[in-house]
Amino acid sequence: MYDDNHRFPRLPWIILGLGIIFLAIGSYIGLFVAPPEALMGQVQRIMYVHVPTAWNALLALTFAFVCAVIFLFKSDWKWDARMEAAIEVGVVLGFLLCCQGSIWAKPTWGVWWDWDPRLTTTAVLVFAFLGILALRKFVEDPGRRAIWSAVATIIASVDVPIVYYSVRWWNSLHQLQSSPSTVSRQFWLPLRMNAFGILFLMTAFIMLRARVASMRLAQELVPPPAVGEGV
Amino acid sequence: MNGMIPGGWGFVVAAYSVTAVVLIVYGASVIARLRNEITRRNHD
Amino acid sequence: MLTAALRKELLLQWRSRAQFMAVFVFGAAALLLFSFAVGPVAEMLRQFSAGFLWLGLLLSSTLTLAESFHAEMENRAMEGLLLLPANPRALYYGKAIANWLQLTLLGIALIPVMVVLYDAGTTRIPMLILVIALGTAGLSAPGTLYAAMTAQVRSKQTLLPLLLFPLIVPALLASVKATSLIILGDPMNQMRSWIVLLASFDAIYWSLCGLLFGNVVEE
Repeated sequence: MYDDNHRFPRLPWIILGLGIIFLAIGSYIGLFVAPPEALMGQVQRIMYVHVPTAWNALLALTFAFVCAVIFLFKSDWKWDARMEAAIEVGVVLGFLLCCQGSIWAKPTWGVWWDWDPRLTTTAVLVFAFLGILALRKFVEDPGRRAIWSAVATIIASVDVPIVYYSVRWWNSLHQLQSSPSTVSRQFWLPLRMNAFGILFLMTAFIMLRARVASMRLAQELVPPPAVGEGV
Repeated sequence: MNGMIPGGWGFVVAAYSVTAVVLIVYGASVIARLRNEITRRNHD
Repeated sequence: MLTAALRKELLLQWRSRAQFMAVFVFGAAALLLFSFAVGPVAEMLRQFSAGFLWLGLLLSSTLTLAESFHAEMENRAMEGLLLLPANPRALYYGKAIANWLQLTLLGIALIPVMVVLYDAGTTRIPMLILVIALGTAGLSAPGTLYAAMTAQVRSKQTLLPLLLFPLIVPALLASVKATSLIILGDPMNQMRSWIVLLASFDAIYWSLCGLLFGNVVEE
């Protein structure tokens, strides 16, 4: 699949480096340059990493869904490898999102979890896609593993908007406030920089992780050399 | 009118640190796994 | 084709009705355990009775669903079945409907348990049965598909709930809310939106899973 499997790929490194630079600059601006927000004070700075993480987590899982659909139509192993990578990265970002949301909620609402529909949906998503990763671990046949996890990914992805709306309805009956995630218009710069930073990191991670997946797959598909021939 | 929420900086540092740690640890694990695969490929 | 598949499923289920009894006892035991978790405070138990009923149903469903492909796995009959003219879609819907019926019956059987343990009586029984039917339909559609997958895998007991539980969150929310409104009263007329949510969830998953089932069982 990849001709340069014997040495480390160069392009992901470049993207990774770009990502780190953007994220470092964006975070620096968000932490030390941007003034604190009127109502929330310093805590609002968390948004400069929280919102970019949210965008990219959603992007990763959407990409996973696209890979799943393409794989079911084209049966090309490349897309199975990319899907596995996208799911793993999406789960990591989703988990990170829940941590950030929790750290944000404590000073803001006084509780570690405020059942915000977006965050709650993310938590459900993380569990759903973790389950799919577990499924992949337990199915040995590569063909079945690919098809089944693609099916499961489609089913889980279709569920996302449904989960979101149902939690929102469920929550609206009790919740008095909604969790604002808006950032004052003047402070787009650190937000945008971090968004690109995490986007590049995510892309690099998916590229590298997909490479791992396809190399492992190549190993599985080639029958092992006969042992003890001629003994 | 800043600092309406007391102890804000602590949470900000926590959030940014968690972000950095998760990204670094995950990135390192992907790179380590890739290194493994490449070494294995080169030995075959 | 579908009726043949359905008839076979119902026959299989009738033959294993002892298993249904066991699942019912499991469900009832779960409801009992929930009351121990909360304590003998009548008002609180009544508040949460809908949640307990549906949690009990959900846990029991993992047993029912896992069993549903047992016959096929025992004799490796899965491949044999697919060589017959019946297409995978008929197999899927036959099983899903049979599972749904069994879960609905289970839900109805647990109503008196709920009424007694949590003092959660209601006169709106037909409405309650409708909600149980819609809710278990939501469990059965993806559950049957995942049961087919996990039946062929090691560690199937953990995988099936692991895959199913996050997915059915909307159905669980809606079923619990709707049941709660029946038991505790519905002053603001919210019932309709929850029923619509449940019905939409069912419509989407009964079609989607049927569509995808062929991919799951083909060789």
